[in-house]
Amino acid sequence: MDKLEELIYNSFDVVVFKKDTNGKFIIHSRPTDWLLFFLNHNSEGTYRLTQYFPYLGCFIDEAERHWKSGKIEALTSGPWVEADEKGHELALEASAIKIDGEDILLLQNLGEKYRQEVQRLQSLREGLLSQEKLENEIAKRTRHVQQQKEQIAIKLVSLTSYRDEETEAHVKRIGLYAAAMAKALGWDEQRIDDIRIAATMHDIGKIGIPDKILLKKGKLTDEEFEIMKQHTEIGANLLGDSNIPVLNMASTIALCHHERWDGQGYPHGLREKEIPVTARIVCIVDKYDALIHERVYKKAFSEDVVTKLMKEMSGRSLDPELLELFFELLPIMQRICSEVTDKVTDNRNQDPYELLEEIRLSDIA
Amino acid sequence: MIQKKICLLGSFAVGKTSLIQQHINSLFSDKYLTTVGVKIDKAVFEIDGKQLSLMIWDIAGEDDFTNIRPAYLRGLDGYIIVIDGSRNSTVHKALSIHQKVVESCGEIPVVFAINKADIKHEWEVTEEQFSQLKRTDYPVFETSAKSGQSVDSIFSNLGGQLLQHHG
Repeated sequence: MDKLEELIYNSFDVVVFKKDTNGKFIIHSRPTDWLLFFLNHNSEGTYRLTQYFPYLGCFIDEAERHWKSGKIEALTSGPWVEADEKGHELALEASAIKIDGEDILLLQNLGEKYRQEVQRLQSLREGLLSQEKLENEIAKRTRHVQQQKEQIAIKLVSLTSYRDEETEAHVKRIGLYAAAMAKALGWDEQRIDDIRIAATMHDIGKIGIPDKILLKKGKLTDEEFEIMKQHTEIGANLLGDSNIPVLNMASTIALCHHERWDGQGYPHGLREKEIPVTARIVCIVDKYDALIHERVYKKAFSEDVVTKLMKEMSGRSLDPELLELFFELLPIMQRICSEVTDKVTDNRNQDPYELLEEIRLSDIA
Repeated sequence: MIQKKICLLGSFAVGKTSLIQQHINSLFSDKYLTTVGVKIDKAVFEIDGKQLSLMIWDIAGEDDFTNIRPAYLRGLDGYIIVIDGSRNSTVHKALSIHQKVVESCGEIPVVFAINKADIKHEWEVTEEQFSQLKRTDYPVFETSAKSGQSVDSIFSNLGGQLLQHHG
């Protein structure tokens, strides 16, 4: 080894090995202090390096392939850290290179180069952490705004609850059933949130129906029924004409939730997919909730009876495909039904949003 | 003595190095110091009268700049996947790393550690994600490298699995 070569090795704090035929490595340059420490001061000159550096056990296979490939460029192992005799961390890196037909392995103490790389990655990763925190904070605040929107919607809808038999629990369930359907349909998060709120307002137009009709116990006359039907358009007008997507959706649902798949519904006699999907969903879940619960004019039906009755409505008043999906989701609907009850919502101190949160839509596949 | 190689894997800044430091030296530092490359430590266990020497590979966490080199997994006997409970994104990363290891090494002993239990009020791991992890049937521990909660348990659980696997 000439003087220049030695100066170069010293300058890069590198030790050079040549691979022998037995897979051992013969040292070709002057051993450094750190190397002698890790070699347990063994100065034989030929070493099974993986025995002293377990990390190399993972690199040697790659190195062998590299030497066989005859490629000129060096293959590096990536850095690894060892502790020296004083417990100081030493970052090493191995490189495999083919020179003059010889398999050469370089072991380098990365020193300052490693510290600079640590600093660079430290700063980048701290930046990533800050960015992640910021994004989480924005998501949290967005959720908070969404909660407020839901609270406003529930409060607004609860105005009608004072007048008719529909309870707060009913409207909340409608929102949750609809959101469950939307999630199963693969809608994006925003649209699922929107239908959860919008569906609760489907009957808000009842606020414009006179008490004598809305609260009438017996059957409505034809004339009274015509007035009652107006709740769809009243609701749509109340909620329409805004630039707020959730209110636009709510307006559509309010207008079309009494349309029927066979075109026999009101107010416009729309049929099949002319009826907006949001309204077709609410139509199904509203029917289910009405059938499964007691009303002044009827007793609560059992699950079996409800399923049978709804199947009879398939292709008549209800969208058959969506109804099929609804039946697939029945266990989730039953859970919503049992967990959001009038008994709980009678507690006026209860935050309505908390109730909505109690149903974890994440359970929906 | 039975010797095994294990790895701690996971996203960056989830506390892999801190868990090792707590387990081996009972030390913890609040300051985040990133790992670059690989650090190898050793720990010796006695489980059911059998001596087990673990070579613990602390591998730099995955992020936009670093990927786990497949060569690191060579000869791997078991691994601990670390999640930061306060960072939702680390769950997805953990599951994708787990998938990568299974594809590369097959089904070998594994433990999931949901770290930073000392700040559980800040956790963002959802119930759904918990259920998803539990459904995998792998042991899941809530750990804190800061308080030491369940730190030794993740290593001894993995050690126990390794001995069983060893026969």
